[in-house]
Amino acid sequence: MDFNTLMQTKPFIMLDGAMGTMIQKSKAEYRHCPETLNLTRPELIQSFHKAYIDAGADIIYANTFGANAYKLENSGYTVEEIIRAGVANAKQAAKGTEALVALDIGPVGMLAEPAGSMRFDDAYNYFKQQILAGKDADVIVFETMTDLYELKAAVLAAKENSDLPVLATMTFEKNGRTFTGVSPASAAVTLTGLGVDALGVNCSLGPDELEPMIAAMTRYTDLPLIVKANAGLPDPNSNEYTILPDRFAACVEQLLPYGVKIIGGCCGTTPAYIEAIRDMLRDKEFTPCPKNTDTTVCSAASAVEINGPRIIGERINPTGKKRFKQALIDHDIDYILTQALSQTGAGAEILDVNVGHPEIDEKAMMVTAVKAIQSVCDAPLQIDSTKPEVLEQGLRYYNGKPIVNSVNGEEKSLASVLPLVRKYGASVVGLTLDENGIPKTADGRFAIAKRIVERAEALGIDRRDVYIDCLTLTASAEQDACRQTLEALHRVKTELGCKTCLGVSNISFGLPNRELVNSTFLTMAMEEGLDLPIMNPNAVSMTGAVRAFRVLSGIDRHAVKFIEAYNDAAPPKVEQTQGDMDVATAVFNGLKNEGAAATERLLKTTDPMTIVNEMLIPALDRVGEGFEKNTIFLPQLIQSANTAQECFEVIKAHLAKNGDQSVSKGKIILATVKGDIHDIGKNIVKVLLDNYGYTVVDLGKDVDPQLIVDTAVQQNIKMIGLSALMTTTLHSMEETIRLVRSTPALQNPDGSSKCVVFVGGAVLTEEYAMQIGADYYCKDAKESVDTARRVLG
Amino acid sequence: MITLGHLSHSEAMRYMGGAGIEPDERMSAMLSECEALVLRHASPKFLYRIAELPDDELAAGNDIKAHLSGCDKAAVLCATLGADVDKLIRVTQVSDMARAVMLNSFANVAVEQVCDKAEQEIAAQYPDRYMTFRYSPGYGDYPLSLQKTLLTFLDAPRKIGLSANENHLLIPSKSVTAVAGLSLYPIEQKRQGCAVCQLRGDCSYRRNGGHCGF
Repeated sequence: MDFNTLMQTKPFIMLDGAMGTMIQKSKAEYRHCPETLNLTRPELIQSFHKAYIDAGADIIYANTFGANAYKLENSGYTVEEIIRAGVANAKQAAKGTEALVALDIGPVGMLAEPAGSMRFDDAYNYFKQQILAGKDADVIVFETMTDLYELKAAVLAAKENSDLPVLATMTFEKNGRTFTGVSPASAAVTLTGLGVDALGVNCSLGPDELEPMIAAMTRYTDLPLIVKANAGLPDPNSNEYTILPDRFAACVEQLLPYGVKIIGGCCGTTPAYIEAIRDMLRDKEFTPCPKNTDTTVCSAASAVEINGPRIIGERINPTGKKRFKQALIDHDIDYILTQALSQTGAGAEILDVNVGHPEIDEKAMMVTAVKAIQSVCDAPLQIDSTKPEVLEQGLRYYNGKPIVNSVNGEEKSLASVLPLVRKYGASVVGLTLDENGIPKTADGRFAIAKRIVERAEALGIDRRDVYIDCLTLTASAEQDACRQTLEALHRVKTELGCKTCLGVSNISFGLPNRELVNSTFLTMAMEEGLDLPIMNPNAVSMTGAVRAFRVLSGIDRHAVKFIEAYNDAAPPKVEQTQGDMDVATAVFNGLKNEGAAATERLLKTTDPMTIVNEMLIPALDRVGEGFEKNTIFLPQLIQSANTAQECFEVIKAHLAKNGDQSVSKGKIILATVKGDIHDIGKNIVKVLLDNYGYTVVDLGKDVDPQLIVDTAVQQNIKMIGLSALMTTTLHSMEETIRLVRSTPALQNPDGSSKCVVFVGGAVLTEEYAMQIGADYYCKDAKESVDTARRVLG
Repeated sequence: MITLGHLSHSEAMRYMGGAGIEPDERMSAMLSECEALVLRHASPKFLYRIAELPDDELAAGNDIKAHLSGCDKAAVLCATLGADVDKLIRVTQVSDMARAVMLNSFANVAVEQVCDKAEQEIAAQYPDRYMTFRYSPGYGDYPLSLQKTLLTFLDAPRKIGLSANENHLLIPSKSVTAVAGLSLYPIEQKRQGCAVCQLRGDCSYRRNGGHCGF
């Protein structure tokens, strides 16, 4: 018997109950972790497995839950020893029965980025080692997962290193989320896309509390569901669990209508519980859950169902944007994050991410951008690149189910992009063009759409996940093309049953009052069935058109969302701008709007560098003095700096418009050293340096020394600031400085160092800073600025 | 279910190095907003478990041994505000660093409050015992590497989602682990203070004539 046969032949599949509970009850002694019993007490572990098989389990979980290299550190055993013994024990117990053996894998025990610091690839490698060690099992199970990103690494590790079926269950709290904020919907959508064989919930709650999670999951997957609940909660005094076997089975019975097919027990359950479930299931039929016809994309925390027009924000894209291109070259990730948050704030529900620029490594930047955006923003992303290798990187390191932008009707594109979409379980935008360009007629575009859908389906991609873009042409150049686009869109929607998307803004090139043309076209397209307008959500009338359309077409029931957007919201808070406040006063008081307005006014009459050197900097100095004298506290200092930033932005925009030189007073690298994840101090330094006119290349936190050196070499940067908060990471600071000093490209011909290194952080002292070879120790952000002025002027 | 109470503004100011500064009207309003935000995003949780002494694995180092001397039991505890507060601070750093610094300080105030609640509960469970103040990895010579040991002892990753990374930093970051000794006899409280602190030589609080409260 194998897993697939089991799935097809039995209405329900029984799992086992808890291993930990059995070990506890037996009072067996072990050091470090219970998995070592696989080797020290094999007969005991086998007896537990046998008891569960006798109780009716079709699949037993080997005692391998925590057998990873992180948890087994210092145990005296290797992962391979423990897992092989664990699987062998289970196999031995199953001998002569039809029971299957699952390789049981729990979380690594460290949190993955961005909440934690375990890298995706590290998580992958921990799991890969376990999967290879457990290759003799019949099924792979990932359970008790609370982080979708870690679970994605696990599933990929299974898919790339094994052919065994994969089951995955996550653990939710009473509030309907995991500890890291994953929703059941996002779990279901992502895991279904990644191609697991079944998914569900285990641990933490009793079966009486799981209905909301199971109901949410079933809506977002066609896969059978797994329930492996706890026997309620342990009583704090007796440590006994509160739900007894019969009640446990009765509660599970309530969950069956949601498509639950695979059932067992977690903490507190014993063979008696499994018997009770078996008895309850005796005359039951499996009810598959109703298929959802809509498609959903998601991040870990937020699922967006494509069930009516949803705005895809188009602003994270350097095309035609000088400022954005500069940000990419300067590795100014904060700029990208600002773009992300301003779009979601304006009403975008999905964000397109395009970071293509000839002067940068687009692959690396895509990964950086995807991770950074996902660390601050819950909107699902659309990974946008013309290069399949960039798409693959974005897909791999994305947390959730993204959209790929895009595939088209060309053979090369179909053959390279669609397999990635399939592998990573994404949705994809299909452009209706091919080797011969964009067909003039609706018929031509429809034909290409059909071809894309057929190719996708042949690979196993559901047509629900292909979003056809019938392409907007410019009305001023080809006025009649507009009708063709809309007609093709209508046909795709009604005849192919696909979701549709459309970049809207192209329509108005060359015409005055573009926003009016855009929003009119948008409304026409929505009426023809447009689901996903790709547009600038900051264009108020267009976002408004989408919201109003959702009301008038009955999607936004009772206009809840519409009212939320327009009724309650107080008109945007315009801080009373005093018409004649000068730059210095605005900076000193931390008033952004006033500062920007004053700068605008000044630029009409005053040279930009004069504003910087004679007004902004002295005003910042005054604030800095107050900070040193302890009359102003940190948030005020930062607010003043931010106001200066606002003034600088106005000046930068002014210079860019006139094609003038930048105002930068020099480049500085900032990084929190490898191993350290506290970056608030470094970020404060960044704000201040930015605002004194330096260009900061912010490499982030937990930064590899080599990246710092490479960046300094490539961009010819003479000043490096390093931050470390913990005593445990000071050694990485030392190592980084050593690498800077020993890199030939960063040395002058006489062997002296080209780079000035300044360091700071809570546990550093001047003495230690000198000892590890830094040039300057800066006790706070203000001193970093003083140092920069001394070094760079 | 733990409910946090009011978060002290003056404590938060102290964390920002602003002890003694009288916040102006704008800053006061911002302090109130930040307090409310932290309260809204926090999902405070704590765990504790009693260990029998002596326990060499737990009491690693001279300082902790001295701290626990005379105690027959120790309460190992941990507390966290959960992942959402970390995210709040992370997101706010993008748009408003000043506010992020303030949120960060209020989060510190909040997690101390959770620890106090844990301590109160332990004290209530052991009315016949005297309790030392709580001692955390990183104090004195008590190594940070003990984080993993304490968290494993408490089953904290599974029960409240609190773990440590490879460098022994707690995640979520607004979290605490600590050990408090329990004794049948009154304990000479070696009061927390600069005298026992390794950072006393170069402390920004002391430079400004202040004190961190430890």
